[in-house]
Amino acid sequence: MAVAVFAPYIATHDPQQAILTDARQSPSGAHWFGTDRMGRDLFSRVVYGARTSLASTMALVVCIFTIGSLMGIVAGYSGGLVDTVIMRVSDMMVSFPGMALAIAMAGIMGPSITNAVIAITMVSWTKYARLARSLVLKIKHEDFVLAARISGGRHRHILWRYMFPAVVPTLVITAATDMGGMMLELAAFSFLGLGAQSTSIEWGYMLNQGRAYMQAAPWLMIFPGLAIFITVVIFNLLGDSLRDVLDPRDTGGAGQYTPLVVQLEKGIES
Amino acid sequence: MTKKMKVRVFLIAASCLLLANLVGGDFAAAAADPDSHLNFGCYNYSDSLDPATNTNASWAGMRFGITECLFKFSKQVVAEPNICDTYSVSDDYKTWTLHIREGVKFSNGNPVTASAVKNCIQRLYDMTDSEKGGTGNSVPRGYLRYDSISADDAAGTVTLVCQKPTSNIPGILAYPYFAIIDISVADSEIVGSGPYRVTDFKPGTSVDLARNVHYWNGEVPYGTITILFINDSSTKAMALQSGDVDLVENITTAIDLENLKADTENYYVSVAAGVRTANSYMNYKGVLENDTLRQAIMLALDKKTMCDVTVGGMYTAGYSVLPSSLAYNYEKLKNPYEFNRQAAIDLLDKAGIVDTDGDGFRELDGKTINLDHVTFTSRNLDEFAEAAYLQLADIGIQTTVNVRDYDTALALLNAGEFDLWTCNTLTVGVGDPQDYLANWYSGNSKSFGFYSSPRYAAAYEQLQVEVNNDRRLELITEMQQILIDDAATIIYGYYNSSMASDVHKVTGADIATIDYYWLTTDIKPVK
Repeated sequence: MAVAVFAPYIATHDPQQAILTDARQSPSGAHWFGTDRMGRDLFSRVVYGARTSLASTMALVVCIFTIGSLMGIVAGYSGGLVDTVIMRVSDMMVSFPGMALAIAMAGIMGPSITNAVIAITMVSWTKYARLARSLVLKIKHEDFVLAARISGGRHRHILWRYMFPAVVPTLVITAATDMGGMMLELAAFSFLGLGAQSTSIEWGYMLNQGRAYMQAAPWLMIFPGLAIFITVVIFNLLGDSLRDVLDPRDTGGAGQYTPLVVQLEKGIES
Repeated sequence: MTKKMKVRVFLIAASCLLLANLVGGDFAAAAADPDSHLNFGCYNYSDSLDPATNTNASWAGMRFGITECLFKFSKQVVAEPNICDTYSVSDDYKTWTLHIREGVKFSNGNPVTASAVKNCIQRLYDMTDSEKGGTGNSVPRGYLRYDSISADDAAGTVTLVCQKPTSNIPGILAYPYFAIIDISVADSEIVGSGPYRVTDFKPGTSVDLARNVHYWNGEVPYGTITILFINDSSTKAMALQSGDVDLVENITTAIDLENLKADTENYYVSVAAGVRTANSYMNYKGVLENDTLRQAIMLALDKKTMCDVTVGGMYTAGYSVLPSSLAYNYEKLKNPYEFNRQAAIDLLDKAGIVDTDGDGFRELDGKTINLDHVTFTSRNLDEFAEAAYLQLADIGIQTTVNVRDYDTALALLNAGEFDLWTCNTLTVGVGDPQDYLANWYSGNSKSFGFYSSPRYAAAYEQLQVEVNNDRRLELITEMQQILIDDAATIIYGYYNSSMASDVHKVTGADIATIDYYWLTTDIKPVK
C-alpha cells in the first residue's frame, strides 16, 4: 500500500519513459531491475505497477463484496420468490467459467483491466451472496428480529440495523482472505492478454511481456513475479490476522479453528 | 565372377527391385527411408485445409506439402511451371492455354487430368460464390475473373478465357487458392498432388502426414511427418531445443531466434529477405485526415530502432509499401520524412496543433487527439504498436493501443473503427504487387482507411490494363512515391521469414522467399 501511495518518491525513473535503444538491459546501478523491451526502467514500473494491481484488486473485491452481500441479505431476508430468483441467478453465474466470460467480454468490449474486473465480478459475487444469505437465515427468526418487526420496524431498517451488521464481520474476513487470490486472478487475466494492455503498468501484463524473454532476460519475469508473490503473501497474512481479530467464534486457537462457513451450514441444516 | 555368381547377383538385384515396387509402388519414392519421421512445430493458422474455405486454409495445405498449384514461385518470386508444364497466351492476353504435365497423380492415385484441373477451379469459384450457395471465404475473384474454362483431356490442356486482359496468369495460378485438389473426394478429405498426404487431422492440435507414393517430382524424403501446432513463439523455440520437434517455422521472438542462430553446432536458422510489409493504415475519416498530423507522425517514428532493437532485427526498416528486397526501384524513392523528433514537434507547433489544457497531449479542433491504434499479436505487430505509442506520446500525441484477436481486428478495419490499423501483409501474393497496391486505390480503399488520391487512382487504373513490364514498373514506382509523399501509411519494415532446424536430424531446411512452401522435398533427414 505504501509503495503504491508513495510510488513517485520511490521510483528512480519515469515508468513510461522509453529509450528504445536501451531495451532489455540487465540489472545494474542505473537500472536496479534492468529495463524492459521498450527500454523503460523496470524497477520504476514494478513500483508504479503496485498502483494498478492494488487498485484493480481493491475495486474487484469491493464490487464482489457489495453486490454479493446485498444480494445475499435481500435473498435471505425476503425468502420466497425473491430468494429463489436471486439464488438461481447465482447458480447460473457460478456455473459459468470466468475465463470464458472474460474472453467473450474482451472480444465484445475490448481487453482492459476494467472489463477483467467486471468479468470476474460477474462470476465471483455468488460466493458472498451465498454466505450472506446463510448468515441472514441464521438470525432471521431470532427474537430480536421478531421484536423489531412487531414494534413496527421497516424492512429497510431491519436490514440495515440488524442483518447487515450480522454478516459484515464474516464477509470482511472472507474479502480479506480473497484479496490475494483475486490479485492472482487479475494478474492471470492480464498475463493472457485479457486484462491490462500494453499502455498500462500492471504486474500481470509485465509477466506477459517478459515471458518471451524468459531465457535471455529472466529479470523481466522475476521482479514482477516477486512483486505479485510478496503482495499475495502479505494479503493472505492480513486476512488471517483479520480473521483472528474479527471472528468471535475463533476462541480455540489456530489449531482448533473451524471454518465459519461450515459452522453456518451445519446451523442451517439443524 | 563365375556364371553362377552372376546369376546370384542378378537374382538378388531383381528381388530388391521387386520388393521396392511392392512396398513403395514407385521406385524413386521408395529409395527414401520409409521409417524416417519428422516432427514439425508451427503456428496454427487454420482448422481447414480446403483452399475454398479461406486464405489461411489454402495456405496451410500448400505449406504442409499436401497440395500444389499449376505454377510455383521461385526464390526470385517468379512463377514457374509446376503441374502445368507449358502454356500459351493470345495476343490480347485474354485466352490462356495451359498444358497439364503428364503422369502427375493425386496422392490417392487418381490422375491429375485437364478435366480434374478444370473441375477443381470451377469448384473453387462455386464454393466461394454466395449466390450459388457457396460458403467458402476465399476470394479467387480478387485475382481472376474468367468468362469460361474448358478442358481437353486428349490434348491435356485447359483453356481459360479471362474477362479482361490478364498478363500474370502464372502468378495468379501459383497462389494457394488455386491449389489443385481431387474434388471427387473433397467433401471428406483434401487430397492434392504434393509430396505428402494427410493421414490424420486434429484441428488445432496436429496433422499426421505420410509419404505420397505417387509423387511425380522426385524422391519424398520422409515416410511420415507429425505437424504439431504451437502458437507461442518461445514455446516453439523451446520445443526445438528440447528435441520435441526437429523443425520450426518463424520464431518471432528475437531473443529466441538469436539464441538459435548463435548455437550453430546444434541448429540451423534460415532467414529469407522479407516480402511482407508491416504497416499501419490510417483512417482518413478521422483526425488523421489532417496532413500535418500524419506528416508529424511519420517524422516522430524511429523505425530503424524499432526494427533493429525493439523487434531484434525481425524486420528490415523501410519507408515504401513494397519491400526493399524486391525489384521495384526502392533505391530511387525519396523519403521526405526521415526520423526527426524535433522536426515533428516543430511541424505540429507551427500548425497550431498544441496542448492547451496542460494534460500533456495536443488538441486538434479543440479535442485532445487520441488515436485508436488497432492491431493483433502476430509477427511483432503489438510491439510496433507499443513502440509507436511511446514515441508519439513523446511528441504529445496520445494513442490507445488496442490489441485484438485477428478476426475482431479485421472486423474493426472493415467497419472503419480505427485511426491506425497495423498489420503485416504479403506484398506480392501472386508475384506482382498490383493487388496489394489496390488497398490505396480509391475504389477499394474504404476498407483500408479511405485514402484517396486522383494521381494514385489514375496510375492504378493504368496498371490494371498495362501488360508491358517496363511500363508497369514505372507505374508501380510512381505509386510508391505518391504514397510516401502523401504520408498515406506508416511503414515499419519488411518481415524476415525464418525456419530453424536441428542440424543433427534435419538438412536442407531453408525458408522460401514467399512463404507458401514450408514442407518441401528439399527438407531431408540427416543420414
